[in-house]
Amino acid sequence: MQSYWFGDAGEGRCLPFTGDVNAMVSRILALSTRMETFSPVDWQQALACGVCSDRVDYLSRLQAVCIAAAERLVREHYAGKDAELLQMVRTLDEMDMVINLLSERAADWYLVRHPAFSRKYRRTPAHILVKTMREKSRGALGMVAGEIEQLAGTRTALAKEVSARANDVMPNTSALIGGLVAARLMANAGGLRPLSRLPASAIQVLGARTALFAHLKTHTPSPKHGIIFQHRRVHNAPREIRGRVARVLAGKLAIAARLDYFRGVAVPEFLEQAQDRIDAAGEGEGA
Amino acid sequence: MIWIGDVLVSRGEGGVYNERMLAGARVWDPYRSKLAALYHVGKGVELEPALRVLYLGAANGTTVSHVVDYTEVVYAVEFAPRPMQDLIEVARRRRNVIPIMADAARPEMYAPLVEAVDLVYQDVAQPDQASIAIRNGVFLKPGGHLILMLKTRSVDVRKNPEAVFDETLIALREAGFIIEESVWLAPYHQDHAAIVCRKPAKPGE
Repeated sequence: MQSYWFGDAGEGRCLPFTGDVNAMVSRILALSTRMETFSPVDWQQALACGVCSDRVDYLSRLQAVCIAAAERLVREHYAGKDAELLQMVRTLDEMDMVINLLSERAADWYLVRHPAFSRKYRRTPAHILVKTMREKSRGALGMVAGEIEQLAGTRTALAKEVSARANDVMPNTSALIGGLVAARLMANAGGLRPLSRLPASAIQVLGARTALFAHLKTHTPSPKHGIIFQHRRVHNAPREIRGRVARVLAGKLAIAARLDYFRGVAVPEFLEQAQDRIDAAGEGEGA
Repeated sequence: MIWIGDVLVSRGEGGVYNERMLAGARVWDPYRSKLAALYHVGKGVELEPALRVLYLGAANGTTVSHVVDYTEVVYAVEFAPRPMQDLIEVARRRRNVIPIMADAARPEMYAPLVEAVDLVYQDVAQPDQASIAIRNGVFLKPGGHLILMLKTRSVDVRKNPEAVFDETLIALREAGFIIEESVWLAPYHQDHAAIVCRKPAKPGE
């Protein structure tokens, strides 16, 4: 006997599955077939079984079950707490790009209007420049500058939300490296589950894609860090030990991601130990 | 295959992805679909009304919608949820598309749904494309065809596309497939090759 979507059949016998579409979906999602002894579905068996009246009916019943199953799986996938966080991080990163692009363009435009203006030897932060442009420019340029300010405001609010959500969804990783960076790691891996399955060495260079493939292809020096460079222990470390700090941090992050995925709550004993280890590496101790 | 002049088309309900219509038929663009490109640069497999197809890596159902215009039924396997939402929509409008959300590398998870098919079409961005095709060979009727769209860049970016191509051909031959055609899809798609092979009608053919 073999299990098919419509029931169990084989050796001239057949047991149709009785249950509604929902029950059928649960059944087929739980089935796993041994491929060595497998023979594909024969729709005539379903006909003999009394499951369907003809070929068209067979396909339409099968399609109904398959659509329901696919819909359920899609729903389950999006129900994970990381699904929305992933979209939030990607939106955040894209907003940063848009804000920078627009600011650069608006500054170029502003320069044309003010031939004597230069940013050299001034320490005007970008947002102050945008504010100046808004106040001093008539017409569309002033409005564009105003939009950039608006976007920057939204970006700040979004960043706070990302950070708060990351603390909730991935408490251990966030505790080690901060909510925002933790969320970026997760988004780069494609979700919490994929992140939890990455080896530490991959986490270490996550976000250093170009450098990594340049290394693999043309044997340039390997990247020491990707996104995790944003952690103060990594970018504040002296050059010679930066690689070591990144490696130790990545090792602890790999464990943290697994704790987040499988337990979903902060584990203080682990965090304390990991923090000490990372600090020690940053101070040049340990291997 | 249906050609109007040198334009490949399929006959079915239009408007799936804002495709162009020509004399009431749906234009099948070789730059968008690798299978359409295969019919332009090579011979491929003639799609017929009685054909049953297992389609691995169905994505948004764009190519699926054309294949199913020609054939009896398409079992469309796709793993990612985002394109699956589109594929479900295509299935709602076309009664012979069976959407299956599963990993093409694990046929044991969808085996209870799929019957023996005349054609396995595979277009997946995975490193082990040859072994996925071979594993799904169990669904293929003797004498049935396999079309493998080889994304050489997904197998190994470090390797030369030609080397990946040759290795795949060897793997398929060793698994008992008879290679009928193998072509690069340039100029329509870069670093993509199509391999058409047949499962022997009887063992030892």
